[in-house]
Amino acid sequence: MAKEIGKDRLGDFYKDGGKVRKRREWRGVEDTLYDYSRWLTIMMTLGKFVMKPRNVKAMFRYRWMANYLAVPMMVDRHTQGLRGEYLRICHTEQDLIINDVAQLLDSLFRGDRRIGNDTEFSKKVVLVDENEMTAVMMGFPTLKSLSRETPSTYVSVLLNQHAAEHYIDVAQEFGLAGDVCPMPEAEAGVSIDDDAPVLGACAIQCNTTCDGSLLGNGVISRRLELEDGIPVFQLAAPLRHREEDVQDYAAQEIRNAIAFIEKHTGEKWDWEHYFECAKRVNYATKCRQEWLEMNRTPYPQVFGSNLALYTETNYMAICGRIPAFEEADRKISKLAQQAYAKKKMAAKEYRHRAIIWGVQSHYYMDFLVWLLNCWGIVPLTDMLSLVSTRVLAEEDTPENRETAIYDMAWLTENMIMRNRTHGGYKVLLNELWEFTQQFNADMVILWEHMSCKALTGMHGMFEDRARELGIHLVWVSHDLFDPRIISRQGVHDQINNYMRTVMREEPIDPSLEVLHDEESW
Amino acid sequence: MNKVLKFALKLLGKLLLVALGFFVVTFTVYFFNLDMKLTAAIEPFLLKHYDRIERDTHL
Repeated sequence: MAKEIGKDRLGDFYKDGGKVRKRREWRGVEDTLYDYSRWLTIMMTLGKFVMKPRNVKAMFRYRWMANYLAVPMMVDRHTQGLRGEYLRICHTEQDLIINDVAQLLDSLFRGDRRIGNDTEFSKKVVLVDENEMTAVMMGFPTLKSLSRETPSTYVSVLLNQHAAEHYIDVAQEFGLAGDVCPMPEAEAGVSIDDDAPVLGACAIQCNTTCDGSLLGNGVISRRLELEDGIPVFQLAAPLRHREEDVQDYAAQEIRNAIAFIEKHTGEKWDWEHYFECAKRVNYATKCRQEWLEMNRTPYPQVFGSNLALYTETNYMAICGRIPAFEEADRKISKLAQQAYAKKKMAAKEYRHRAIIWGVQSHYYMDFLVWLLNCWGIVPLTDMLSLVSTRVLAEEDTPENRETAIYDMAWLTENMIMRNRTHGGYKVLLNELWEFTQQFNADMVILWEHMSCKALTGMHGMFEDRARELGIHLVWVSHDLFDPRIISRQGVHDQINNYMRTVMREEPIDPSLEVLHDEESW
Repeated sequence: MNKVLKFALKLLGKLLLVALGFFVVTFTVYFFNLDMKLTAAIEPFLLKHYDRIERDTHL
């Protein structure tokens, strides 16, 4: 029980084979009381959510809702060992995301034909993919853009490592390929298992990241259109998104998507609202660049899961549409600058500066905190946080309305993950080494998502280049949503082996080296 | 006046006592992770319940 950073043996909080940790951390009086107050706020958010009978009804209808029992534990995992500004940055982000997801769930169940069945509300809902930029919704202030896959699969696996296993098995029982990405496969499994809320005037799907996502979209859209009567638009963004000659096509896809939404909801595109959202997107980009700029110095401030989870939510799912995220950006920047001015560190020792590349495993999102606490490896930035930095047109003029269409197309092409897994070797392979130089990194942790063919195909090329540049390249294999293939300890072992045999180092916190948390949420 | 003051002080004392009780109980739950231990015990019953629900499972 210690106030100082790095004094606790964080592995001791785990009980072998247990589902939850023994107790919460003592972080000194001030930080413990702060963490406690945030825990109370989370409990109030959850309490408010279950006060509505329709949400309780949904809890007993949808299997994936059981994962939401683990919300406070998810926050505990990401705040492990954090003190001062880092703890506050983490809570600012996590608490806002929890609130946003609670509102998303509440809206889904309000319109769901099985639960709330509010038909008028449902007519104002546009369903979107989980892994899709919501840029085409920036000009529809009166419509609700809701993703069914975000709460049923994406967030569920962050809460409970085993959340997707049932749905992956259902999809494979019905003959879907077992070697595609488990994320779209689980999303398809939710649809096959009749476990997705049914609502909405229409839906927009996107050719997101891979063959697996096309597989999932095919299964889901068929049920939506033919059984639920919900028309679906396929937003097909170009693969080689950096090429100039594809941009006209990409812009036309955006115009078509907007026309489709207008047709099925009866609403009209609102330019004034679009440009308001664009200003907020630009502000978020400015803040993210400032944080990354700090991370190039010896005193990085917003990094690890504090950077990764928040960027994914703010950049892609929010896309300037919710003002509360602008407030959070401002608060995070203030805290980061405060800590930077005092040359603060998030752990007692920084040994290595690492770029985290590839697609991270969702069942182990707190791996970045583990890297820092166990081995002193600072995850300066991850691949999914290195997204578009383009400044969007934000003044409403006739020329800018045309530019805005291209801006939305650019954002859609450059959605998280897609901007690197699509676009060829330049964006996936070459730019990594530019980032290692810019961030003065001596190490690359390369998540090898074994079902992601775009990434694994370049395995040898990554190794060759790392050798040429003298960068330590540590491979971490995983299967994204399925810890039965490679467990969290299986992930640890890959790092532990490299650090002990190649680097000849001892862990900073040996209690974290082996954690028997296979049964844990 | 005295009566009013006495009543106010009594009320304040009670409120403080309630607040202290609330803090002691919730902080104990928080620190010993009792909320998560309870929900972990509930989960298996919920999973059994989901298995019993009739569903229109198909491609």
